Amino acid sequence: MLELAILIILTIAAALSYWDRRFSLALSLLAIFAASVILPLAPLLTLVAFLGIIFLLVIKNNQIAGVDYVMVAFMLVVTVLAFVVKDLALLLTLFVAASVPTYLLVMIGDKLNIDIGIKYVTFMVLATILFIIGAALTYYGYEERSPLYIAGFLILLTGLCLEVGIAPVHEWVPDVFASADPVPVSIIASLAKFVPFVVAYKIFLVTANPLTAQLLFVVAIVSAISMFVGNIAALTSYEPSRILAYSTVANMGYILAAFSAIMSKELIYFALAGVLLQLFVNSFGKIGFFASIKGGGTSSLYSWILGVSFIGIPPLMGFWSKFFIIYALVFSNYVWLAIILILNSAISVPYYVRLSRILGTGWRRNIANTTALISAAAMLITVIPPTWFVDLVTMARW
Amino acid sequence: MNVLIELAIFIPLIVTFLLPALREKAATALSTTSFLIPMVLSLYSLLKLQSYNVSLFDFGPPIGEFYILVDPVSNAFGFTICLVSAMVAAYSLPYMRHRFVEMLHHKEIENSEKEFKKYWFLYNFYAVSMLLLVYSGNFLLLYIFLEISLLTSFLLIYLYGYGNRQWVGILYFVWTHIAGVLALLGFLILAFESQTLAIKDLRAVSFVAWLLIFLGMIVKLPGLGAHMWLPWAHAEAPTPVSALLSPIMVGLAGYILFRVYMIDSSFVLDFKNLILAYGIATSIYAGLSVLKQTDYKRLLAYSTVSQMGYMLIALCLGAAGLAGLIVQYMSHAFGKSILFMTAGAIIATFNLRDIKKMGGMHEHIPTIANAALIGFMTLSGILTIGMFGEFLILAGVAKVYGFDLSVVLAVVVVFIISGFYSFYTMKVIYYGRPAKYEKPKFSRLLDAPLYVIAFFSVIFIFPPLATALINGLDFALGGELVKIIKEVLGGVRP
Amino acid sequence: MIEVLAILFLAPIFSSIPIAIAWGIEPRPRWAEKLSYLSVFGLFLSLLASLYLLIYLGELSPEAKPIKYTIEWIPALNINFVFIFDYLSRIMGVLTALIAFLIGVYGLEYMRNDYRLGWYWFFFNLFTASMLLTVYSDNMLLLFIGWEGLGLASWGLIGHWFRDDDELSYVGNVGRKIWKLNMFWTPSFAGWRAISTIRIGDMPMFFAIAAFFVLTGTLNISEIDWHGLEGKVGTVGIVILITAFSMGLFAKSAQLPFSDWLMTAMTGPTTVSALLHSATMVAAGTYIFMRLSWYIEPWKFHGHGYEYVYILVLFLGLASALYGALVAAGCLERKVLLAASTMSSLGLMFASTATCYWVGKIGILVGFWYLVTHAFAKATLFLVAGHLIHETHDRFCVGDFEVAKHLKLAFIATVAATLSLSGIPPLTAYWVKSGMDGVMHALEHELGYLPLVLLILTSMVYSGFLAKFLSLNFIKGKHVHIHPHGGKLMEISYTAMFLMLFLLLAIYITSYEKPFKEFHHEGFLPSSIAVGILVLAAYIFALYKPQIKSKVGEFLGDRMYLPFLNDLIVAKFGWVLSTLSDYGNRFIDFMCHKAVPKLFEIYSNGTRMIQSGNINTYIKIAVAFVFIVVLIAAGW
Repeated sequence: MLELAILIILTIAAALSYWDRRFSLALSLLAIFAASVILPLAPLLTLVAFLGIIFLLVIKNNQIAGVDYVMVAFMLVVTVLAFVVKDLALLLTLFVAASVPTYLLVMIGDKLNIDIGIKYVTFMVLATILFIIGAALTYYGYEERSPLYIAGFLILLTGLCLEVGIAPVHEWVPDVFASADPVPVSIIASLAKFVPFVVAYKIFLVTANPLTAQLLFVVAIVSAISMFVGNIAALTSYEPSRILAYSTVANMGYILAAFSAIMSKELIYFALAGVLLQLFVNSFGKIGFFASIKGGGTSSLYSWILGVSFIGIPPLMGFWSKFFIIYALVFSNYVWLAIILILNSAISVPYYVRLSRILGTGWRRNIANTTALISAAAMLITVIPPTWFVDLVTMARW
Repeated sequence: MNVLIELAIFIPLIVTFLLPALREKAATALSTTSFLIPMVLSLYSLLKLQSYNVSLFDFGPPIGEFYILVDPVSNAFGFTICLVSAMVAAYSLPYMRHRFVEMLHHKEIENSEKEFKKYWFLYNFYAVSMLLLVYSGNFLLLYIFLEISLLTSFLLIYLYGYGNRQWVGILYFVWTHIAGVLALLGFLILAFESQTLAIKDLRAVSFVAWLLIFLGMIVKLPGLGAHMWLPWAHAEAPTPVSALLSPIMVGLAGYILFRVYMIDSSFVLDFKNLILAYGIATSIYAGLSVLKQTDYKRLLAYSTVSQMGYMLIALCLGAAGLAGLIVQYMSHAFGKSILFMTAGAIIATFNLRDIKKMGGMHEHIPTIANAALIGFMTLSGILTIGMFGEFLILAGVAKVYGFDLSVVLAVVVVFIISGFYSFYTMKVIYYGRPAKYEKPKFSRLLDAPLYVIAFFSVIFIFPPLATALINGLDFALGGELVKIIKEVLGGVRP
Repeated sequence: MIEVLAILFLAPIFSSIPIAIAWGIEPRPRWAEKLSYLSVFGLFLSLLASLYLLIYLGELSPEAKPIKYTIEWIPALNINFVFIFDYLSRIMGVLTALIAFLIGVYGLEYMRNDYRLGWYWFFFNLFTASMLLTVYSDNMLLLFIGWEGLGLASWGLIGHWFRDDDELSYVGNVGRKIWKLNMFWTPSFAGWRAISTIRIGDMPMFFAIAAFFVLTGTLNISEIDWHGLEGKVGTVGIVILITAFSMGLFAKSAQLPFSDWLMTAMTGPTTVSALLHSATMVAAGTYIFMRLSWYIEPWKFHGHGYEYVYILVLFLGLASALYGALVAAGCLERKVLLAASTMSSLGLMFASTATCYWVGKIGILVGFWYLVTHAFAKATLFLVAGHLIHETHDRFCVGDFEVAKHLKLAFIATVAATLSLSGIPPLTAYWVKSGMDGVMHALEHELGYLPLVLLILTSMVYSGFLAKFLSLNFIKGKHVHIHPHGGKLMEISYTAMFLMLFLLLAIYITSYEKPFKEFHHEGFLPSSIAVGILVLAAYIFALYKPQIKSKVGEFLGDRMYLPFLNDLIVAKFGWVLSTLSDYGNRFIDFMCHKAVPKLFEIYSNGTRMIQSGNINTYIKIAVAFVFIVVLIAAGW
């Protein structure tokens, strides 16, 4: 019921935004806070959405001012629902629903950017089609363990890769990140990444059979490729948004790596905690960094916290997420993948340091910098060792 | 009596967050004091042979209990860290003043007062993280402090180092990060197998876990081949940081190996010969490299690599060797911190690092030259605690390898080379025809702290400190040390 | 007892700390020069303490049971400060303290205008304390502390004039070069040479000490079951252990092939040469060998392992003795000549001590009393040499009868010391040398006549170069201009020193205790008298013809090119190795900083090249990927 109420609120907000965007802002905020009670994990997601909405305020001459907040709030609701829903058709609907708002968002900015929109939408459509076909085939074939299942699994994987930007089909990511406005990109890089993973995970889990373990090997290889491509490509990039694009490719690789461990019953929650925490790290980090870009630099303290968290130094969030992932990998006999992950986190050091240095030019009082500040602060919540996070993951209604 | 060492080690941590609020002189005094308190207490605790645990909180499996581990070994390491940190803190004031003036001149910083605040925060945080590391009773906690110390030291290099400091900083970061995470991987496997990472509850370490921890520590220590990052990092760091990096930090790898060994020695025992050969090769190779260096700090850095080879050697030599490892850590820490501070004093007074431009420096800075002498004496084990380190290692060789001449000769050659390069460096830098410089005036803080460390280095060979140290090590090794002679004396004590 | 020990060891050190600190605070503080007297006073206290130990600790005889005193150090490991007071240590202690004190007095004048008095007195007194510690300690680890102190003090004092700015402090002919080797040495270089050579010996010795500990559970020389040890480790084990231990002794006592450091050690102030590098420190090696033999008592059980080692020591000692004597014969530098002669004497001490394996304790006693005699005689000669260098400003042997007239006491001291030391009947060393002839002769059955022949040969050359020293400096040398300096304190000091030789002579002649009665017995044998006459003949010959210029002489003067071993062969070998390691480092640096990063850069650029911005390409890649995936699925 609550979900329905929130959706109604959002519809009203969208309608009112034609009159005054402030109404829509207030109602969107109301909606995301309301959504935070649905699920133990939801408050953190709400924080991501909140940061996205705050950050949207930075854009002057917003072409769709008002509707954008609603879209972010809508994405949040969809994301939260994705955790709860079990039905395949509904899951796929949510997958599409989470994706569509970004088609519009990607084009907004201080001036409208249609070109990039086309490029992005092309890829997303392709991704969505493959994802849905893959899901259907998987469902159809998993009981007989037929080749259809294998094909379905792999096509689903391809769709996922395209959707979130995993190498070798990551080509849209650097282009979009570099040429779109930092504000929508930060939302694409953060909030939009949750649903594909959650939905894919649920499908994998429901359709799991002895073949899956072998197929996960493909997942492991793809994730390794993605880590290497992202990190190595970022090494020689000097433009912050491009670095962040490749960093996203690498981060998605880390997350996909954790998928290799989902077959093991004892470790499932560590793997999931790793996946989700890494998604949060990626979200806060990307929002923080893009906010710094938009705000023309931020305090060096914040930029260093963000960079160091990405590198994975305890007790920051980035350490714990990698910790959980490595943990899950080691105990599901993917030690080689864990070592590749370690190597990659080492390779990534130079460009995160570079990023922190480029963006740490000094604090300015504006909305963008406030967003960066909150993001950096969010990285610190794991100063309390996040066994609580694992508990939250366990409590989610999977 | 419980001396509350477990509380005292948090004093520097609290002080860390107060320091940015203070002016530079007050900050120096406070930072020094904050390390002196746990230093005194850890020494007292060592003398009293105290050994107990203070529980912090329990995570349950697979991480286990976080607790503070107080025993003679952590007290010995803790004392060393506190002593060196306190002295280097005092030394930092004149040195960093010089450095900031230089950086202001090159327009690399804007305001030295602001930089001092950052410096003190990072310095204290760095030093205290290492202190807390040796008192950590859980490998995960230990790893966390390892990474904090890595990060803070990296920032210190990155912000205030010399030369191509940003590149050097990243080089350092990447290598030690790999080392740290490899060890983490080992710890994780350990956690999975034993369902705990609390040192007191662990009973066995599987091969893969040992291997990963060992490899990580080899990079960190560093062993031959993995050593390339060290000379860069230790040479280009601002000197007070070098004086912590080299004497204290790399040796902590030895500490971790020691702790793991005490849980399960199978790995080392199985590959004893290999590890020993590797340690000897590291030590000889790096020792020979020392003779080729023309940069004073780089020279010292190579000598560190050579001395860390001792640690690997000591690891393979049974109870005597393990005791030797700890004594070796202390002696190296004392000696090398003195030496890095002498290098820094020359930089601060003459802006000079190139050995070729030195010579007869005793003429201009006799107090520094004499301190360097004691530093090198400590490294080569003459009249200082280093002598015990060498004695215990040699006793270990005799015990484990008997009259295996190749091993005996190799270890003896290792020790000879240390003496060679020590006194060779003394001759090249401090003696011979004096280079033409003005005799400088410099702050007493540039030489007095060196003598404090030197004092401890010397008195540690005499009772009561020597007695307490050896008794403590024997206690920590479960009486294995005394067993060596009990065996030959047939249980009858004269 | 503990008070006496505290005074003995600590008085010298603490009394020298004020001057050391004064010099650390200020360069050449005028006000602090008087503190030198305090340092010498410390030496004096130490002398009193050693005299106490000599006189008040019961009967002084080779057969007396040793008295031991223990202070806890590391009782858990049975390692304690164990001091032993026996025949050897009580006499050696007084000898050390006395000579140190006398030379300390000499140094007050000799070093008066030095630029580095703080350093000088600190290391001089540190040396004395270390030497006394070495002498009195029974525990080998404690002994090793003293031992390292000796090495350090020796290094510090050899390189005392670290500025290398005064050619008067060099050794060798400045500018001379043989092939690629400079045949002259500066103080700072000589210091390094000394300590690095000594370290080559010390480390094997340290290993042996550690091994004794592990094998026997104790480090007290007098408590180790030496006989049982051979049963435990076998013949080879004993040979390895004792040889390793003796490496330290050989290096410290400048035996072949370690000898060359002692020659260049003459760059130090003359007081240092006199005290450390002739009378006491270098003798520490032989002293420890005596002490070891004293408690091993190899003559009682005739272990095979010990036999090999004692044969080695015997012949090494004799070879070094002959080498040293020949080098001294070819040498023209005052102090280097004396250094070579010291080495020769040390060789004789080792050799005669080593005979104890066959002849018993008397071998040790002969060696020991030769040590005592040599110490006073050689110290006298060095002190005279120092005075001469002061007066003539020349470190080579120069001076005609003018010098003798000006420096009457120096002349008399030299005559007395040379005559006493060469073994001319009936002067001091004759009696000991006769004892030595006797023990060498006793080896006839086991080792033939070779030891005796070597000994007599050495004695003759020895006496010859002593006469040469006298002749070239006071009688037949080049005429030289003299710069009178006063020198009263110096004269008092060496006069006292050579008078000690006559005191010794009195003891030798009048005493009927062991070993003197053996000396009498040997001294009155015709064969000994015959050797004495041969030695006298060599002395007289050399007095009249002090210098024979020849290629052979030059070869001997260049120490038979032994410096090539230290400065060229070993040094080049080390240089090659360290160059190799340097190349290794460069290779690693190249790999890590050039090659691998370049590779990363290439790959990085390659990956980023895909980013053409052309959507068609992207779609093609995506489709290709999909097809590959489908193919994989089909192939499954």
